[in-house]
Amino acid sequence: MKTFTFEKSQALFDRAAKVIPCGIYGHMSPAPLIPPSDYPFYAASGTGSRFTDPDGNEFIDYMCAYGPMVLGYNHPKVDEAAKKQRKLGNCLTAPAPVMVELAEKLTDLVSGADWAFFAKNGGDTTTYAVMVARAATGRKKIVAIKGGYHGVAPWTQGFGHHGVIEEDAQNIVRIPWNDFAAFERVVSENPENVAAFMATPYHHPTFADNEMPAPGYWKKVEDLCRKKGIVLIVDDIRCGFRLDVHGSHAHFGFKPDLVCFCKAIGNGYPISALVGAEALKNDAARVFYTGSYWFSAVPMAAALACIEELERIDGPKIMLEFGDKLLKGMVEIAKGHGFTLKVSGAPSMPYLRLTDDPSLVLMQKWCGECTRRGAYFTSHHNWFVSTAHTDEDLQRTFDIVDDAFRAIKEGGK
Amino acid sequence: MKTSEHDLVLAHLNLFAVLKNLEELVVRDPESARMTADWNETIQFTVMGGPQAFLSFSGGRCTVGRGAARKSTISLFFLSPRHLNRMFSEKANPIPVKGFLKLPFLAKKFPKLTERLEYFLKPTDALLKDPGYLALNTLFTLHTAAFAAAEMAAGEAFSRASTAGLGSGSVLLKVLPEGPAAHIEFDKGKITAKAGEAEKPAAFMYMKDLAVANAFLNQKMDAFAAIAKGEVAIWGQMPFLDALSRVLDRIPVYLAP
Repeated sequence: MKTFTFEKSQALFDRAAKVIPCGIYGHMSPAPLIPPSDYPFYAASGTGSRFTDPDGNEFIDYMCAYGPMVLGYNHPKVDEAAKKQRKLGNCLTAPAPVMVELAEKLTDLVSGADWAFFAKNGGDTTTYAVMVARAATGRKKIVAIKGGYHGVAPWTQGFGHHGVIEEDAQNIVRIPWNDFAAFERVVSENPENVAAFMATPYHHPTFADNEMPAPGYWKKVEDLCRKKGIVLIVDDIRCGFRLDVHGSHAHFGFKPDLVCFCKAIGNGYPISALVGAEALKNDAARVFYTGSYWFSAVPMAAALACIEELERIDGPKIMLEFGDKLLKGMVEIAKGHGFTLKVSGAPSMPYLRLTDDPSLVLMQKWCGECTRRGAYFTSHHNWFVSTAHTDEDLQRTFDIVDDAFRAIKEGGK
Repeated sequence: MKTSEHDLVLAHLNLFAVLKNLEELVVRDPESARMTADWNETIQFTVMGGPQAFLSFSGGRCTVGRGAARKSTISLFFLSPRHLNRMFSEKANPIPVKGFLKLPFLAKKFPKLTERLEYFLKPTDALLKDPGYLALNTLFTLHTAAFAAAEMAAGEAFSRASTAGLGSGSVLLKVLPEGPAAHIEFDKGKITAKAGEAEKPAAFMYMKDLAVANAFLNQKMDAFAAIAKGEVAIWGQMPFLDALSRVLDRIPVYLAP
């Protein structure tokens, strides 16, 4: 099978490294793409489930821009809605009417949501949720999960990361996922001082198997929060609209007070949302929180179209079913080559690991081999599928997966 | 006066990351080897409110150890970690409490060896053009980095926080094609550094050659860009490397390049 080369990507990166810290920073940094020589660093264009790099290589995209792409790149309905709004105006002196429509849509659709607040990035909403919880309770402590990702604000990164001081995270208490007893302990050790419990619907750390909630976990967390007046916050930024259009809490059957959304709500247009229960609406109103572009109308129009389309086609069902077919097929192909591919997390955003090598080197080699053949896989992060992935993508992916396993076998296990 | 974290960490680095290079210096640098061939001395360093270490010379070898030596010929006392650190920056003298007859050794012979170490630890662009010098400076820089990382992960709040929560496994740092190498072992919160290769590393950092390693370890290049360009290759369990890199980034806070 033909393998790709990335001369133009690398030349661009050389230029970038001179004028941009890290060349490419943050979650799109090439550093965790191992080996970097197997990956494109830039995307020149994208349509549907695929993107093309500056060298003209086309990839079936299983990272979906790390989540925002949910209906496919350049989706006609979303782009048309954005285009119409752009003609009317984007960043104006007052919010556009579409903001109200979008808030009404989200509160209609998301289970338990009585109001919606819009920003740009997921981290905007997690920080706002924490502020609302503290405003509502007058308490300091936030209980979160070890390895849980809630953005890049200093309180989310924690001490031990550059630019973060001890005081930034001193009121954040991290406990293991699925450990209800640990939550109870923190609550009893901090009487009347726990403002919120924040977690993702299921645990999806990087570099580690993802974990679903244990039976009854969320119900017990919810009950304790109610009993102790603790605000229950769900960070649905990654899972949102990939498990259930009514919110991932609906999928798992519990009722949070605040839910953070981003990624899938805009199909790539920059927008995030915090939705909440009526009881917290006044507290949310009291917290002053805003940004220069948070009222931009184009992303709101795009989000409205995206959410309507996800609801119309039952996007999560499509993605879960596609993911299921993809993963079952890949596990079988791996088995045929003598490898064990372990899948964890939801099929619409799975985390994969070859258990044959605990150091992950084999997984890194395999993901690299797949990527340089045209199926963009990463070894450190959960993948994402979209509603635009087709049966043709599926078959092509299986061919690539098969060839890549053959290549790493030939290279020595 | 209360000892600051900076003084305490620096005292550990001076003894167990910088001075430790003498072990290799007397083996790899012919001039140092000649100088120390017949030395038979053990110098004890005792720091009030700080670390205790000893430096032994015997049979042309040098050993830097923790704690009290079985038998020292010279014993140096320091009133505080800062006092020790000031000696390392040549701004203070130790208080000899044993081995007064050895004062000429301390005053004349020993400084010649530490000057030699300083020569290899403080490169100039001109010196780095010499392949032999480049090789030794890179080796000492790699070892200093690895040993310093272990000390910092144990004693510095930031580095302790960076490495907290890591499981067990080792990280290999190696200059290609033939070394030098060092590795850092994480074992449920206990962190140790050793020269040479690791048996089954959980994570790997391969530096393309001596020149790249030298620039990378001395933080003269953008680490992320170096990785993206393949000058430094990383493999394996990234959380180990991620945490370790945050610790390594902090070394210049204590030891100026």
